[in-house]
Amino acid sequence: MAAEVVASTVEIAAASQVGMKALGAGLAVGLTGIGAGVAEMGIGSAAVGATAENKDLFGLVLILTVIPETIVIFGLVVALVLWFV
Amino acid sequence: MLAPEKMSRLLIVASKDQLAPITGALYRSRLFHIEDFVVEGREGYDGFSIGKPLAGASEASGGLIKVRSLENVFAIRPDDIDPAGARKRHDDLARVVDRELAKIGTEVEGLTSRRSKLEASIKEYEQRIHEITPFADIPVDLSLYRGYERFAVIAGFVTKNVAIREPAESRIVKGKSSNFIVAVVPNEDRADVESELAGAGFVASPIPAESGMPHALIDDYQAKITQAKAEIASIEMNLDAIRQKHADFLVACEEVLKSEVEQAEAPLRFATTDQTFVAEGWVPSSRIAGITDEIMKASGNRAYVAELPIGPHDVVPVEYNNPSFAKPSQFFMNIYARPKYTEIDPTLMLSIIFPIFFGLILGDIGYGLILLALCFALRKYFRGEDAEYFLKVIRNASISSIFFGVLNSEFLGFAMPWWPPYSFSRHLISEHGGHGPMIPELLLLAIWIGILHITLGRVLGMVNHYRQDHGEHRMKAVLANAGWLFVMWGVLVIIWSGIVMPLMPDLTGFPMLVAIPGLPMDIPGINVTMVLGGIMILAGVIFIARDSILEVVELPSIISHVLSYARLVAVGLSSVAIAMVVNFISIGMLIEPQLENFTLIGAVVILAGVVVFILGHALNTALGILGGGLHSIRLNYVEFFTKFYKGGGLKYNPFGLKRRFTED
Repeated sequence: MAAEVVASTVEIAAASQVGMKALGAGLAVGLTGIGAGVAEMGIGSAAVGATAENKDLFGLVLILTVIPETIVIFGLVVALVLWFV
Repeated sequence: MLAPEKMSRLLIVASKDQLAPITGALYRSRLFHIEDFVVEGREGYDGFSIGKPLAGASEASGGLIKVRSLENVFAIRPDDIDPAGARKRHDDLARVVDRELAKIGTEVEGLTSRRSKLEASIKEYEQRIHEITPFADIPVDLSLYRGYERFAVIAGFVTKNVAIREPAESRIVKGKSSNFIVAVVPNEDRADVESELAGAGFVASPIPAESGMPHALIDDYQAKITQAKAEIASIEMNLDAIRQKHADFLVACEEVLKSEVEQAEAPLRFATTDQTFVAEGWVPSSRIAGITDEIMKASGNRAYVAELPIGPHDVVPVEYNNPSFAKPSQFFMNIYARPKYTEIDPTLMLSIIFPIFFGLILGDIGYGLILLALCFALRKYFRGEDAEYFLKVIRNASISSIFFGVLNSEFLGFAMPWWPPYSFSRHLISEHGGHGPMIPELLLLAIWIGILHITLGRVLGMVNHYRQDHGEHRMKAVLANAGWLFVMWGVLVIIWSGIVMPLMPDLTGFPMLVAIPGLPMDIPGINVTMVLGGIMILAGVIFIARDSILEVVELPSIISHVLSYARLVAVGLSSVAIAMVVNFISIGMLIEPQLENFTLIGAVVILAGVVVFILGHALNTALGILGGGLHSIRLNYVEFFTKFYKGGGLKYNPFGLKRRFTED
């Protein structure tokens, strides 16, 4: 009886660990996604404005716009590492 | 390769009567990038002034304006016209240009002015119909509303009901949102009626100055409009016929006149005295002999041509010098910035690295094939060099993603018959046994690519600084770049000395100096190589700080730039995941269960499954192109170019015209 209880408690603990991992992975991608989005919002609108004024700036503003994208890539990497490694 | 075309500075001096033949020779050769003469501030040019246009400049520009306005009428754009058939000879055309243009001009002018008259009359008829329409439901001749001495006629719309007392007569036509009222009022009652109407939200409308029954008038105007429209249609057909007939001629004329204007106005860019002129400019070094010969031939050996030394402050125009397979990548270089003359031109590297990155990210035979087909299909619809280059870049990228798809054993997210894959598996579920996704290996592979890419960038940075900088700063800048490399590799050595990882060298075996128990990740303590790594970092930081102390703040970017290459795996895996989810929903959940016991409703569900499959993969293709393309180019722009590349070179723009419709 006692052994069964212990076994099921261990099972529950293991299962909730998996769940926590999934939560963590989801949060990592979701929050970094929001972060990258917020960061790119301002840069992107300024970039569109600048490009409208001077087309030659396109390359430069494209770079500036995608710089915060790294945040969400880190999030994705963290999620992958949490889930698979 | 890796450097722009070598340029030489050329000086041409001749007497003014050679101006026309020499300009013609330069124009034909399309090699001479003219350096505009600026009156002020040029040493050794005292007493020179800007030249005057050659004879015939203003006639030619007048003609050019005419041609362009005609092209405008017909919406002809030279870029959209295929230079089909034999090219016309420049001189033949030049002789007939004026006469022919005038002929086409009068013909077109007559038609277009008739057309605008008709359009104006249609507008007028429509306005009249608009005015008459409210009266249409009152069967009274319109002439009866006018011409009274003792009565006034009031017409307009009211929003509320209104009753007009005797002796005034009124008629109300009910409408949807407001009613139309016509009232005939004795002059003495007019003020009363108007104030009553004002209370009902009255808006006056004019009484049409027409005679006849309203319905008949409306029908009459409608008929006139139809007639005018038919005539416009026939004019348009005529214009279209003229367009068809003369489009080739017009674009050829534009070319002829443009070349004449450009040649005639070239002296405005030269320095002249009363008797002579001096032209300075740039020519690719390999072509100097040829162009000198041509100038001599054109002037009958009566010109002085010499190569001048290039000064340190000269802005040398830049022309790419790439092997043909790397040329398409110039498209991406132009988006970023054209290289400076003294700089390393990374186009060749970009042309190799971009497709590899794209393939690493997309890496799927199915998507690669779709993209390849798309490239060939779009070729018909896009014109111009840029579009051609872009499609070629994407073509190379899709071939690369097919190649990596074979390595990854992926086809639209399914596994191919060869299993396990030749490379590290990206499949999230291993359907045929074997390994699931090999995330650590994939990530470390991406990191390795990053380390090597960044190292290459820094080495190129050292070369660029060595070439471009002068004096004391040169050594400092070169060492600073080396410093960045030291720090990066130092960090790597320290990590390798503490932690054993797949695909990475294992330096943990070196003799331990200080054993520290209880460190995270089973790091035993400090060993020899760790100290070596520390020294490298220290030296690196010193080198960086010597060049610019502020740069030290940027040190963490080493880590973030290297880790940034993880996107090669991360973006790719997300694409694999979407593909697998689409496959699972469409085939696993919708199609397969229905196939087992087939019913009529089952057929509908199967159809839905097919739709999900197609839509899902279409979405993933679009995401794949965007993700694969943007992330690959970003790794080059942000992580690679920022290490060594400035750009901002002047475009080499030789004097001359690339003839498409005519020949000399």
